[in-house]
Amino acid sequence: MRVLRLVGVTWWLQLKMRSRSSFDGILSIVYPLFFATMIFFMYGQHGDQEALVAASVGAACMGVWSAVSTTASTTLQGERRQGTLELLVASPTSFPLTVVPATISMGTIGLWSLVVTLLWGRFAFGISISFAQPVVFVVAAVVLAFSLGLVGFLEAVASVRYRAAWAIGSLLEFPVWLICGFLVPLDALPDWVRPIAYLLPPTWGVAAVRDAALGGNAWPDIALCLVSGAAYAGIGWLLARRLVDSARMRATLALT
Amino acid sequence: MRTSLRIFFIGGMASYRALFHWLTPWILIPTFVVAPMFELLFFAFVGKDAGVGDNTFYLMGNGISSAAIPCLFAMGNTIANERYTGTLGLLLTSPARRLPLFLGRALPVILNGFCVSVVALGLGALLLHVSIPAGDWLPILAVTAVASFSCTGLGLVAAAIGLRVRETATLSNIVLGVLLVFTGVNVAVNVLPQWMQSVAQVLPMTHGIEAARELAAGRSLEDVAPLVRDEILIGLVFVAIGFAMLVWFEHDSRHHATLETA
Amino acid sequence: MPVIEVEELRRTYSSRTGLRRSAKKDVEAVRGISFEVERGELFGLLGPNGAGKTTTIKMLITLLLPTSGRARVLGFDVVADAREVRRRIGYVFGGDKGLYERLSGLDNLRYFAELYGVAPKEQGPRISELLELVGLAGRERERVEGYSRGMRQRLHIARGLLHRPEVLFLDEPSIGIDPVGARELRETVAALVSTGTTVLLTTHYMFEADQLCDRIAVIAGGSIVAEGTPAQLKERVADGHVVEIEVYGDAGERIDAVRAIAGVTGVAVEEGATSQLLVVRTSAAAQVTPAVLGTLDGVRLGRVATREPTLEDAYIELVRDV
Repeated sequence: MRVLRLVGVTWWLQLKMRSRSSFDGILSIVYPLFFATMIFFMYGQHGDQEALVAASVGAACMGVWSAVSTTASTTLQGERRQGTLELLVASPTSFPLTVVPATISMGTIGLWSLVVTLLWGRFAFGISISFAQPVVFVVAAVVLAFSLGLVGFLEAVASVRYRAAWAIGSLLEFPVWLICGFLVPLDALPDWVRPIAYLLPPTWGVAAVRDAALGGNAWPDIALCLVSGAAYAGIGWLLARRLVDSARMRATLALT
Repeated sequence: MRTSLRIFFIGGMASYRALFHWLTPWILIPTFVVAPMFELLFFAFVGKDAGVGDNTFYLMGNGISSAAIPCLFAMGNTIANERYTGTLGLLLTSPARRLPLFLGRALPVILNGFCVSVVALGLGALLLHVSIPAGDWLPILAVTAVASFSCTGLGLVAAAIGLRVRETATLSNIVLGVLLVFTGVNVAVNVLPQWMQSVAQVLPMTHGIEAARELAAGRSLEDVAPLVRDEILIGLVFVAIGFAMLVWFEHDSRHHATLETA
Repeated sequence: MPVIEVEELRRTYSSRTGLRRSAKKDVEAVRGISFEVERGELFGLLGPNGAGKTTTIKMLITLLLPTSGRARVLGFDVVADAREVRRRIGYVFGGDKGLYERLSGLDNLRYFAELYGVAPKEQGPRISELLELVGLAGRERERVEGYSRGMRQRLHIARGLLHRPEVLFLDEPSIGIDPVGARELRETVAALVSTGTTVLLTTHYMFEADQLCDRIAVIAGGSIVAEGTPAQLKERVADGHVVEIEVYGDAGERIDAVRAIAGVTGVAVEEGATSQLLVVRTSAAAQVTPAVLGTLDGVRLGRVATREPTLEDAYIELVRDV
């Protein structure tokens, strides 16, 4: 109970913080629209409505990954720069538990991006989605955002020691868009890519969102997205514990 | 790739370390080599899925536009650094030497953009199995250099606005987004609505990308000369606008004291 | 049982230098210090920059692992029982970092109230009470980015007190705040101690330490060079008095002659705009003053005054030779 409340409150405050930044907040929502626009024009050229609708769902999901991947890698360095990292570590709350709400808030910003992209497709390009299962769609989108937030948590702790952490975010953005079936179906990719895609939560999350929007059984994909996301969080958890121990040993918490 | 710079702008720009960061292989390779490759592959695969364009189309579009990032951001970086070190005022108040000073700062930026493009085109051609006759590469590279120049012109304008607007990172990314959508990088300009086509005509890169595609299709440099000329003209106009804005904002900032606030 | 027990605590920093980062360099920041702080005491850790004060505090609040030795806070080992220590202590440092700029002061407090597990029902009243205490009531809904340095510092204090810590660590809390703010801070700290909170304070401001601290340890070069009440420390350097002599013109080599006078334990020179101030520490001012003045014969002198030694005199004497 205490943990749920802790995660809830700190998630909300992190979200507040992010929404107030033109960079983390507004740009995370506006920027994917440029990509969505290109994608709408690309798929719209042959007048294939079905392909366009599928692309619009995929493009909407792209924003979720974008919002997480580009900000997660620098989040701990940001905390360190503003002197709050030490305070998080010095608190009696387990360190990973102080980071997870932050990365989930990035996924939440991504959820906004998803909605805005769908609206952009609807009103600027006339792409209307029938939403076969609206409730399942909402569940799938929330699970996608949550699960990618957990991937972002691993990214955040894995990149804290890397001086050029901001470069990691950009490196992860396009490959995941490419291989996780956001737009390009998995069978259109080389065979060796598929097993990698199966290990990545976005693959399942995007499939779930698409099934829920276009008709199909989304539940197995929702479950797989959650499970794989939890696995990433588990690895991140162990890494974060080791990170704090080593930082206490090597005095790297306060360094900028 | 653009996102990396978006982060770079926030995280690194304000510190001098940024200058050194810029130069290490840890930044150069992921940002200027690997990320553009993924971007190119992404759009090539999406194009195949959507059934539009071919590999050469995406290679030329993304190869040339990969110069936009260093051109837009590094130029802004240069000006912003002058500002942080407090030398911008000095720079702008030495009238006789302004133009060469700014050109001196722009040249490495153009070179940087050009190199990024060349690497992207070369690696991209290998990855996508695009074969272009050896003799056609030279004119394509010439066009690439011209596009890097005109992009840097736009970068100068963005940098000048950066003297006024606090959220330079957000601004530069929006400029970059507009370039990607309007200039035919992944969507042929003639597919866009009429008003967007009109805007595309006055943006850098539009003509350069078109010229590169024509050259890759076997046309000669003479055939694309008008396109190249337009690209150069647009570049010159943006340099002039950017320069005028720098001078004006600097002048104006004495009234409003906005220059020295970081 | 002492609230803080430090035994032979030692901390070495290793850094790699050189082009290939191959040369390993060890710096001993804290070289085996020991002290104890009793419940309800206000204990001061004084020392120059780089003396090891912050390193010591960071080991005590579990942010740094000691290289050797051990420390216990409220009976819990700072290495083995870190979580138990963290629950019971508060940590406040000076400067304007350590706050979420884009959140309001209130939200900053809510955030940390959650991290410190303050019971939900108690959070509201506790936060209001603290905002009142540090004088931020009414401003708590403004974003921190608009706060002045003094306001930030007061918010820090409130944050450190959210969970009613039994021990409060204050690392140079008054750095960079104006005299009025600093006085209010001292009053707040004194009030906390009067309600039973144990406080470990580091500071550069001697009058602050003199006024607040029950006991002081002077740390220099990673070792404790003196420990005691402010009065004991003052006595240690000069169990008599301090004679201050205003000198116009160049006293030059005569200062050495003053130093040589029997009964003079130390001479410091403070440069003024038009004059120098000779601060002569002595065990017996009445006998020594005439001798000092005699030595300075022929030099134009201004005011001559005898006063009690301050903590600053003691401090300068203690850390000078390290």
